[in-house]
Amino acid sequence: MAPQQAALVNLSPAELSFLRSSLAQTPPIRLDVTKGPRDFRSMRAEYDVLPGANGSARIALEDGTEALVGVKAEVERSPQRPSLGAHGEDVDMGDEDVDESTGKGQNGWVEMSVEVPGFREDDSLPVFLASMLKESLLASGELKDRLYINARFHWKLYVDVLLLSPALSYPLALLSMTTHLALLTTDLPALKSEKDEDPLFDDDWDAAVPLYPKTAGKTTTDKPPVIILAMAVGPNIIFDPCKEELAVADAVLAVACTNTSSSSTGARIVSIRTIDPPSHLTPPGIPNSMNSATGGTAPTSSADALTQRELLASSGVWTPPRGGMKRNLISQVTKMVVESGGIAEEVISALAAIEVG
Amino acid sequence: MEYFSLKRSNAADRGQANLSSKIYVRSTKSGKVQKIVRELYLRQDIPCSSNLCRACLDIAPTDYSKKVAPFVLSDTPAGSKDYPNGQYLVPDTNAFLTGMDLFEVETAFHDVIVLQTVLEEVKNRSLPLYHRLIALTKNEGKRFYVFFNEFRQETHVPRDAGETINDRNDRAVRKAVEWYNHHITEAIAARSKKQKRIPTVIMITDDRDNLRKAEKEKVPAVTLTGYVNGLENADELLDMMSSAQEQREVRSKKTEVFYPDHYSISKMMTGVKAGTMHQGIFNVSTYNYLEGSVHVPAFDKSLLILGRENSNRAVSGDVVVLEVLPRDQWKAPSTKILEEETLNKNDNAEAEDGENVISEKERKALQEEVKRVHGQTAEGKPQPTARIVGIAKRNWRQYVGHIDRDSVRSSSKTSRQQQTVFLVPMDKRIPKIRIRTRQAGELLGQRILATIDSWDKDSRYPVGHFVRSLGELESKGAETEALLLEYDVQYKPFPKTVLDCLPAEGHDWIVPASLENPGWKGRRDLRDLLVCSIDPVGCVDIDDALHAQKLPNGNFAVGVHIADVSHFVKPNNAMDKEASQRGTTVYLVDKRIDMLPMLLGTDLCSLKPYVERYAFSVLWEITPDADIVSSEFTKSVIRSREAFSYEQAQIRIDDKSQQDDLTNGMRTLLMLSKKLKQKRMDAGALNLASPEVKVQTESETSDPVDVQTKKLLDTNSLVEEFMLLANISVAARNYEAFPQTALLRRHAAPPKTNFEELTNQLKIKRNLELKTDSSKALADSLDTCVDSGNPFFNTLVRIMATRCMMSAEYFCAGTQAYPEFTHYGLASEIYTHFTSPIRRYADLEAHRQLAAAIEYEQLDPSLQSKAKLEAVCKNINVRHRNAQNAGRASIEYYVGQALKGKDIQEDGFIMKIFSNGFVVFVPRFGIESLIRLRDLATPEPEADFDPENYILNVKGDVKRRVELFEKVQVRITDEVEVSTGKRKVRLTLV
Repeated sequence: MAPQQAALVNLSPAELSFLRSSLAQTPPIRLDVTKGPRDFRSMRAEYDVLPGANGSARIALEDGTEALVGVKAEVERSPQRPSLGAHGEDVDMGDEDVDESTGKGQNGWVEMSVEVPGFREDDSLPVFLASMLKESLLASGELKDRLYINARFHWKLYVDVLLLSPALSYPLALLSMTTHLALLTTDLPALKSEKDEDPLFDDDWDAAVPLYPKTAGKTTTDKPPVIILAMAVGPNIIFDPCKEELAVADAVLAVACTNTSSSSTGARIVSIRTIDPPSHLTPPGIPNSMNSATGGTAPTSSADALTQRELLASSGVWTPPRGGMKRNLISQVTKMVVESGGIAEEVISALAAIEVG
Repeated sequence: MEYFSLKRSNAADRGQANLSSKIYVRSTKSGKVQKIVRELYLRQDIPCSSNLCRACLDIAPTDYSKKVAPFVLSDTPAGSKDYPNGQYLVPDTNAFLTGMDLFEVETAFHDVIVLQTVLEEVKNRSLPLYHRLIALTKNEGKRFYVFFNEFRQETHVPRDAGETINDRNDRAVRKAVEWYNHHITEAIAARSKKQKRIPTVIMITDDRDNLRKAEKEKVPAVTLTGYVNGLENADELLDMMSSAQEQREVRSKKTEVFYPDHYSISKMMTGVKAGTMHQGIFNVSTYNYLEGSVHVPAFDKSLLILGRENSNRAVSGDVVVLEVLPRDQWKAPSTKILEEETLNKNDNAEAEDGENVISEKERKALQEEVKRVHGQTAEGKPQPTARIVGIAKRNWRQYVGHIDRDSVRSSSKTSRQQQTVFLVPMDKRIPKIRIRTRQAGELLGQRILATIDSWDKDSRYPVGHFVRSLGELESKGAETEALLLEYDVQYKPFPKTVLDCLPAEGHDWIVPASLENPGWKGRRDLRDLLVCSIDPVGCVDIDDALHAQKLPNGNFAVGVHIADVSHFVKPNNAMDKEASQRGTTVYLVDKRIDMLPMLLGTDLCSLKPYVERYAFSVLWEITPDADIVSSEFTKSVIRSREAFSYEQAQIRIDDKSQQDDLTNGMRTLLMLSKKLKQKRMDAGALNLASPEVKVQTESETSDPVDVQTKKLLDTNSLVEEFMLLANISVAARNYEAFPQTALLRRHAAPPKTNFEELTNQLKIKRNLELKTDSSKALADSLDTCVDSGNPFFNTLVRIMATRCMMSAEYFCAGTQAYPEFTHYGLASEIYTHFTSPIRRYADLEAHRQLAAAIEYEQLDPSLQSKAKLEAVCKNINVRHRNAQNAGRASIEYYVGQALKGKDIQEDGFIMKIFSNGFVVFVPRFGIESLIRLRDLATPEPEADFDPENYILNVKGDVKRRVELFEKVQVRITDEVEVSTGKRKVRLTLV
């Protein structure tokens, strides 16, 4: 489904057409001419902005879009479920090495809420954004397992995402990066009790353990996923599009990725989704040739209309793109994102650098 | 791009110099875990409080009257060899934890700076020590000053990354010492150029790492021992250091473990919540030190704890967590007397190798127990036993005792060698305490105060340290102080803040003559009533007075007038706080420890004869049949016509020639009181008995000369009946006005199980039936418990029945349902204490509530808060019980003194039978004493114990049958125990 755009782009079909054709050039010329297709808009980021939260981050883009994310963790009692037969347990008894929390996490342990100014919380945009973010978080399963305390208790993670400014451009990537940074800097109080006892925690905040353990030496630990927005115009692939660029996109792809567990370079994809570009929603203008009022002949059937429009597409007049994304384009995008030294690695390491520096 | 950070500057990056923050995790009771951020605003106007410093005097904050709090630290502090220019001491946390008793010594340790860091750490580590430290800072003579170093900008120390909290605190202490030294030097330079005597500020710490760092940073520091060694009476002082640390170091070499580990707190919490473990207060039996019981909410009857291993280092009074043992380990409660003193006489305090948790002798004693239980048939009653797995809260206090002579290696007074000795506590339920001392020779034969420091799993006995000596054993001063300490009675003189609350006129205070005076507002003038008071001989704090008058309609106007203490003691001032802490006046044989200062208790409040006094009056109209027509409450002014003793009043009433109005009023009162009593009895009030004796003392030396059982006259019951009536009337009125917060007193109906044993004993021995369904049934069946051949039997049964009862308690109306209000013993629906405000705090509170109920004055907010009242009730319940016990113990001691050197034969009754002894009660002296089999003959005769029939058949030469309730002749002598140097009353069968 298409997310409703907050601010419509006020460009004429001619302007849109110009923008589209310059983006479709090789090399493409972006709206901000200083940027190449792989370049992100510059941003300012900081973390630990909310002292009372377990983790928090804020990112402001140069166009004034700003997001704030707070992560709070609460201890919650897990509902006791009757165990299904004892034989399963016998198997577990043998291998002690297996971390007991593996596979025990539940999706309900993470709650995500997105607030966008001007939208009700049950409007489609915030709900859609929240579910996209949550989906990518839960996809790998490592996060929810980390929330397991013991058979009777678990952490409940509340991720509150706040867009501080009106949504000037499609905010998914911004929110995702802010969430990533917030989770990366989230600490949970250190557990002192053992096994299935009522949890008891170290009262020293400095002893708190990070939700995503820091990289120790060469072994890399997993990081929260980050969603990268890529769009295709003609043969070109452009990352981090701005609002106007999105308006003329042929297709938009949201790729959630995280670092690979095996090597320190490259990344792996956690989830991927196509997003209806807003251009699909712009009402097509009616060309003179199809308008009886201007001397043209109105198409007799909708199939006829489609054929005629298809023919007009290359004439230089703006027509909203139709149809999906080509397969090789998708594989091209994923490759650019995932490859060693690719976009994902760049973004993740840049965000990690904020925390370190 | 314009960019603002949302971040507040915090400890990590200090944007502003006067702002800092602290972050920690708090776990709430409901299991929530919260991250707490505290922001700290640093200031520069916290004074150093040294009289040497002028600069601080200018910046120090002022109070509402524009005055600076007086500076504490002396300008000429005492010096020492190393620091001849005088010194201010800055102890660290451990110095206080190990040496609190040292700091309390009057002769040393003056001019001490208590850092906030240290104070808070002490509070976290030990609340009792914290309270003692706070008390020290209030003691003007000691000159202890609390410096809020965490709030002063110069001394605030943010925690470094990766630094442990202990290291940070140590650093904060060093920083404060450094600042102080710098500051004092500057202050003196500013004062005069000539002055050369600059006191040094010295840190006292035993932490080696801290000392090393201090040396590096050039901060003057010394160990506690090092400092004490430089003092005059170093030997005595060194004994007062806690031995916990030292011992640990010595013992860490060995790995032998005597007791199982305690569970972790979280494990205990989970267990208690889940119901698999239980929590309660550990009580040790007075007859058998190896047997304890814990009452837990989950069961009706207490759980038994048998043996040392199961009691796992718990000391009587601790809040413990326990696990129920499997059924095959259940046992009946012991029928054997076990005393630690006799069983483990030969333990060596010094030797630690090869000691077992259970000594061989103890084990034997336990084995016999088991045999006995196993021998019983199925109907024998093994009880659930449990084992202590952890201690939720230690309730260690200071214990009074004496040094076990046998544990002293060299008793030479001149030897200054350190040795370990045993302290035998006065309270038999407390285990022996191992103490290291250099003055063993001097301490022998003295009453000694000591504390327990620790009880490690590799030590059979707890380890403690000497606090101070109270004086010679048996000397009156030492024994009285010991009693007061043992029962936690606050006996120090009232502090100045309390005395400041007294009326400025002192003894010259009088009821204002002018009726316009605000003191008369809302007060009724009852000066023309013929009021008199009846009290024991020599009573000076007269709480109550009475009057009665015939009315024209044939009814009687009766009034009870109670001293108006609430007029003098206003809520929440220092005097009120002190009184609420003390809770009650404690009466010892030769001493009275007042709840209120003398001036009030014995003069201004006391309803003395012939003078006008403020009173709170309860006035009734009563029919000749003692039915109440109406009741009324008012503040008043009365003038008592006479203060009688019970005997005098009785004589006057009995003397037919006395026909004045006052005497006739008393006759009316007596007549009505008899009817009131009858009504009460009909309603099911119990007539219980407790062994009460009175010690006659010589007036000057207060040496006991004789012991008498208390005689009860009609006039005693006269006063009692009207006080009960007043209390009940007030209780009803207060409850009506404040259904949530009225302070009441209840006496719960005892659970049936409490009477099980007594019922059984009566049934078997006398074929009597004790009905315990209601107080009425119990009262009636107690009346039938008579033995024609033994007039005392009934009293004996009543005494024993009294011990089965619950104890009455104060409570706040909102915490119980109305049916739970009943006073079982008095058979009254509702009851409170109103009639003795001079000596009981509960009565004072009731006065305030009644005054508000009759709209005489506003109710203080503290009396409207249920939580605060509950805290007050809890405290006065404890104080009340302690006061009673202290009073009893005092009588016991004096009875012992009165019997000194005597040899008397008296009648006694057998109250309890064990397999190796029995308890005899001698009504003449109110003493209850144990006679063991081995006291009957040496060697200890064999005996057959028949627990079902309560018979002990002693074999051998003695050849005697002893059974329960039997009347026996006993010979009372006293003897001095060789090992302890302690004298004891000794009973033998004749």
